[in-house]
Amino acid sequence: MAKVGVYVCHCGSNIAGVIDVSAVRDYAETLPDVVIARKDLFMCSDSGQEMVKQDVRDGLVDRVVVAACTPRTHEPIFRAAIEKAGLNKYLFEMANIRDQASWVHGHDHEGATEKAKLVVASAVGKARHLEPLEDKFVDVTDAALVIGGGIGGISAALELANMGHKTFLVEKTPSIGGVMAQLDKTFPTNDCSACILTPMMVDAYNHPNIETLTYSEVDDVSGYIGNFSVKIRRKQAYVDWDKCTGCGDCAAKCPAKTPDEFNAGLSDRRAAFIMFPQAVPKKAVIDMDACINCGGREIGSEPKLNKKTGAPILAPCEKACPADAINRSLPLDPGGRIKEVEVGSIVVATGYQVMDKGWFKEMAPDSPNVITALQLERIISATGPTEGKLLRPSDNQKPKTITFVSCMGSRDANFHTYCSRFCCMYMIKQARLLKEKYPELVINMHFIDVRTAGKDYDEYYTGARRMGINFFKGKVGGLEMLPEDKLRVLAYDMESAESIEYASDLVVLATAVELPEDAQGLAQKLGLQFCGSNFFRELHPKLGPVETSTEGLFLAGCCQGPKDIPDTVSQAKGAAAAAAVPLAQGRVKIEPIISEIIPENCSGCGICVPLCPYDAIAMSEWAGTARAAIEMSACKGCGVCTSACPSGAIVLHGYEEDQIFAQIAALTSGGRNHAG
Amino acid sequence: MLVEQKKIDEAVATIIGFGGTGILNCVQCGACSAVCPGVKAGFPLLCRNLIRSLLNGQLEEIIEDSSSWGCQACNRCTEVCPQGVRPQEVVFAFRRYQANELAFSTSAVTSQMNLYETGHAVFTDPKELRRQVGLPEVPPTSAFNKQAQEEIQALIDNGPMGELGLF
Amino acid sequence: MEKIGLYLGCNIPLKAPDIEQSIRQILPPLGVEPVDLEGAACCPAWGTAPSFDLDTWCAVSSRNITLAEEQGLDIMTGCNSCFGVLSEAKHFMEDGERRRTVNQKLAKINRSFEGTSDIYHIAHVLHKKVGMEKIREGLKFDLGGLKIAVQTGCHSLWPSDVYAVKEENPYQPTILKDLCEATGAEVPHYSRLGACCGMGGMRSTDMEKSLKLFKEKLVSIKEETDADMIVTTCSSCFLQFDMSQPILRERGEIDFEPLPTFYYTQLLALAMGCDPSQVAALSQIDRSAIIARIQDEQRLIKEVA
Repeated sequence: MAKVGVYVCHCGSNIAGVIDVSAVRDYAETLPDVVIARKDLFMCSDSGQEMVKQDVRDGLVDRVVVAACTPRTHEPIFRAAIEKAGLNKYLFEMANIRDQASWVHGHDHEGATEKAKLVVASAVGKARHLEPLEDKFVDVTDAALVIGGGIGGISAALELANMGHKTFLVEKTPSIGGVMAQLDKTFPTNDCSACILTPMMVDAYNHPNIETLTYSEVDDVSGYIGNFSVKIRRKQAYVDWDKCTGCGDCAAKCPAKTPDEFNAGLSDRRAAFIMFPQAVPKKAVIDMDACINCGGREIGSEPKLNKKTGAPILAPCEKACPADAINRSLPLDPGGRIKEVEVGSIVVATGYQVMDKGWFKEMAPDSPNVITALQLERIISATGPTEGKLLRPSDNQKPKTITFVSCMGSRDANFHTYCSRFCCMYMIKQARLLKEKYPELVINMHFIDVRTAGKDYDEYYTGARRMGINFFKGKVGGLEMLPEDKLRVLAYDMESAESIEYASDLVVLATAVELPEDAQGLAQKLGLQFCGSNFFRELHPKLGPVETSTEGLFLAGCCQGPKDIPDTVSQAKGAAAAAAVPLAQGRVKIEPIISEIIPENCSGCGICVPLCPYDAIAMSEWAGTARAAIEMSACKGCGVCTSACPSGAIVLHGYEEDQIFAQIAALTSGGRNHAG
Repeated sequence: MLVEQKKIDEAVATIIGFGGTGILNCVQCGACSAVCPGVKAGFPLLCRNLIRSLLNGQLEEIIEDSSSWGCQACNRCTEVCPQGVRPQEVVFAFRRYQANELAFSTSAVTSQMNLYETGHAVFTDPKELRRQVGLPEVPPTSAFNKQAQEEIQALIDNGPMGELGLF
Repeated sequence: MEKIGLYLGCNIPLKAPDIEQSIRQILPPLGVEPVDLEGAACCPAWGTAPSFDLDTWCAVSSRNITLAEEQGLDIMTGCNSCFGVLSEAKHFMEDGERRRTVNQKLAKINRSFEGTSDIYHIAHVLHKKVGMEKIREGLKFDLGGLKIAVQTGCHSLWPSDVYAVKEENPYQPTILKDLCEATGAEVPHYSRLGACCGMGGMRSTDMEKSLKLFKEKLVSIKEETDADMIVTTCSSCFLQFDMSQPILRERGEIDFEPLPTFYYTQLLALAMGCDPSQVAALSQIDRSAIIARIQDEQRLIKEVA
C-alpha cells in the first residue's frame, strides 16, 4: 500500500484568493491511500519544502502530491526536495490547481474549489501507482552551432569559443555582420556601428575555436541535446573562396545589375559582388539569379574560341580575376555542397527583417521619397549610396523638411499587435544625427507614444527636444503625393486636438520588426515553436528566456522578439552560457520519462516507426525476428507510439496505463471517488 | 474634470448599446482624427477627441455638441484605425444617443419627415425636370408609390424612430 | 445582355434626372440591361435612420436589397452614399442575431432578406463587367487632349472591408481614372484626390466648414491639374462641385471660373453621342462650352473600314 502525502499550497492569494484551501485539504484526507494532508502559505518556500522532507524522513509518506502551481517551473524543486529526504524523486506528482482552477475560474470560488478537489484526486490516483525511476546519462559532443551571423550570433559564438568550445558560426549571406553592419551610428552613445562591430567580426572570424561558414544555411538537424548532427549547405558562390582575395575586380567588370540588399534596395550592385567593403570574410559571390551569362554562355560550359587566335573568350568576371578564382567552365553544383557537423548544443540567432513600405497603402508607397528607416540608415551611412550625404531618392537634392512616422505595422491589429521596441530610439537617433549635421533641417517626428525605456534612453530623448527637433503625439493617418515629389503629411496633434497638415520632402517610416520569411523553414528543421507574435517561442517568458522546449536549443536576439543591440548582446551571452552547460558537463541527463518497448509483446508491425516525431524508433532484430526499438536518448516521452501501438507493447514510464486510468477514474468520479 | 467610474461605465455602455462596440479597443493614437474631414474642418468632438470625452465619462455634458452631425460618414477613420475601433460607428452611436434624446437640430427633422412620407430623405417634385430630359414623370421609386411608402412607414413605426413623436 | 437591378436612390431620380437618363442610355449599347427596382426607397441616407437606430437602418436597406433579390439580380447604385449605406447594412446583416431581428421586422411587410444580391456601384459595373475595351468601342467622340480631374468620392472607398467590389488601393483609386482615360482624355494626378468634398452631413450642419474643405480640394485641382472639367461617380460630390463653385466665385474666394462638372455616365453618354439636352441638361455651372468641345465634329471617330 502506498502512503500518499498531499500538500496544498495557498500560493499567497494566487490560489487561496479563489479556492478554499482548507476544504481541498480536508477532501484530500479522505482519498484512498492518503495518510497525511497538509497546507502551507507557500509550499515552495524553505519551510514548505522542509514540511515535506520531514514527513518523508519520518517514514510517514512514500508518495508525494503537491497541489500548487505549474510543474513547468516547480516540479524540479519538489523532486529535488524529496530526493534529498531520501525518496526516489519520480514518486512525486503535481496537481496544478492554480492554472487549472483558481486562475481560470476566478469568478466562481465554489466551482473552482470543487475542480481543485478533482485535480487533487486525479493526482493522488496517479501517485498511488507511481514506481521509482532512474535517470540515465549520455556523453556530449563538445562543440556548438550558432545559426545567424549578426551581432547576436557573433556575440554568442565568441562567448562559447572563449570558454574553450569549438563553435560553428553559420550565416546565410556572404558576410557576417547582420543588420548592425548596415547601421550608421548606434544609440544612445552615437558610436559608429561599423567601428564597434567590425573588430568583433574579425575576432570571430580569426578565433581558433570558431569556424565561420558564411553563404551557408542549415539544411537538416537530427539528434538531441549533446548529440546533434547538422547538415550545413554551403551555397554555391561560383567563386573559389580559397583563391579569392576580395579585390573586387570581378564586381567592377560585371555588367549585370540588381538591387543591392545591403543598401536596402536604394542602389544597384552587380551580379558578381562583395557584400560590403568591410565584409568578413571579404569574398566575392556571383549571384546566378542576376547573372546575364555574358556572351550567351551558360555557367558550366566551355568558352567560345576567338576565330583568329583560337584563344578562349572569357566572361568579364573570369577575365578580371587576378587570382584565377573564377572559372565558369567548371561543372559546379548549383546546390553547393553539404558539410556535416556534430554539435552538443545550438544557439539560434537568425535576427529579423523590417516590413516593406508597400504594405502601407495610405502612406503613398509609390513615392520614391517615402522610405523605411533602414533605408535612411543607409543614406546617412558613409558606406551608403550617397556616401553619408542626406539626399532624397527622387532627385538627389537635400530635403528641407523631413518627417518620421512611428508604429508602421507595429501596435496595429491589421499587422502586428506588438511594439517593435527599438523604433522610437532609432528614430530619435536618426533625427539627432541629422540635426547635428544639418541644423537648418526641419525635423517633425510623429509618435503614438515615445517609448524610451532603457539605460540613458530617456535622456537621449529629452536631449533631442532641446536640439529643436519637433515631436508630435498622434499617429500619422496618411500621405498625399504633391508636385515636385513632395508629400503632404496628414497628421494629428493629440495635445491640441487638432489635425496637422504640411508638405515634407522626405518621409521615413519606422516599419515593424518581424521574423524573416525563411524562418518558417528553419523552425521546422529545428523543431522550434512560434509565440503569439510569430517570433520563436522561448521556454518560459521570464525564467527560461534563452531556452526552448527542445533541450540543447537556445535563442538569442530578435528571432525571439524585437530587441535593441544591448539587449541582443545580453541575451546572446546568456544563451551562450546556457548552451555551454551541457558541453562543460560532458554528459547530459536523460529523464526516465520515456517510452520503452516490451519486445515480447511487440508484433513487429512497424506502425510506431513513422509516427515518432523524433525519429527515435527503428526496427531491429530481437530473438531472430523484427521488433521495434527505441533509442533512449532521442525519445522525448511524447507518448505517440504508446497510444498507437495495437499490441499495447509500448510503456511510457511515468505515464503508465494504470496511472492514467486512475487519473481518469478520479476526474470522472464527480468528486465522490473513493474506490481504488 | 472629476474622474467618476460610474459615469465612465455609463457612457461606455450607452455607446456600445447604440452600436459603437469597438470603443474600448481605442488606444487614442489619433490616426482617425488625422484623416477625418470633420476634424480638419474644425468640428471639435469627432473621432479620437469624441472617444476621449466618452472614455472620460462625459456623455450628458456633450449632448448638445453638433460635431457628430458634421460627420460625413466617409469611414476613412475605420480604414486607418489600427485597433479595429471603427470610430465612425462610435460617432454614429453617439449621434443615435443624441437623436433618441431629441438633441439634434430642427433642420434634420425635414429629412425624417420626407423619408417617412415619400420614402425619400431628399424629396422635391421631379415631374417637370424628368419631362424636360425625356424621362417618364414618375420615377420607379417609392416617391409616388403608396404601397412602398406604407412599407417604409411600417418599418419606421416598428422601431425607436417611431416613438420619437416626429411623425 | 446582362441584367442588373438599377437602384436610383433620391438625388438622381428627383434632382438630377439627366444623370438617370445618361445611365439608361449608355448601358444597353454596352451590353447591360438595367432593370428597375419598382418601389425602391431611400438607402436610407446617413442623416436619417442610420442616425437613429441601427436595426431600422438595416431594415430599410434590406427592404431595398430584397427588391433585387426577388428578381435574382445584383444591385447597381448610381449614388456613392447609397453604395456605402447598402454595403454597410449588408455587412451588418452578416451578424446572425441582427439578421434575425431585422427579418422579424421585414416579415411584417412580407419580406425576407437573404443576402443573395451583391452591391455594385455603376463605376464597378462599367469597369469590371463592361471593361475598357468595350467602352472604347462604343465611343463616337474621342476626348483626346481634354484634361479631367476625377473625384471618386468617399463612400466607394472606405471602409474597404465591407465592400464586395472595390479598389485595389483605396488611397490611390484608379477605377474612375481608367474609365475617364478610356474616353481618350488625360487624367492627371492631384494631391487631394482622396480628400472629402465637404458635401453631406457637414454641409447641412455647418455650411462654412463644408465650403472651407471644398475650397482646399478645388484649389488643389485647379493649381495642380488645370483641368478642363471635373468628373465624378458620386451624385453628392456632383452637387457640391456644381453648387459650391459659383458661391466661392461670387464671394471672391477663388479667382478662376468654376470648372464644369459631370457625373461620369454623363461624360460617357456625351462621348457616345447622346443628346446633351437629355443626358447633361441640369447644372448651375454653364456646361455648354465644354459640351460643344466634347461633341466637336473633329473628335468624331472614323469608322474603320
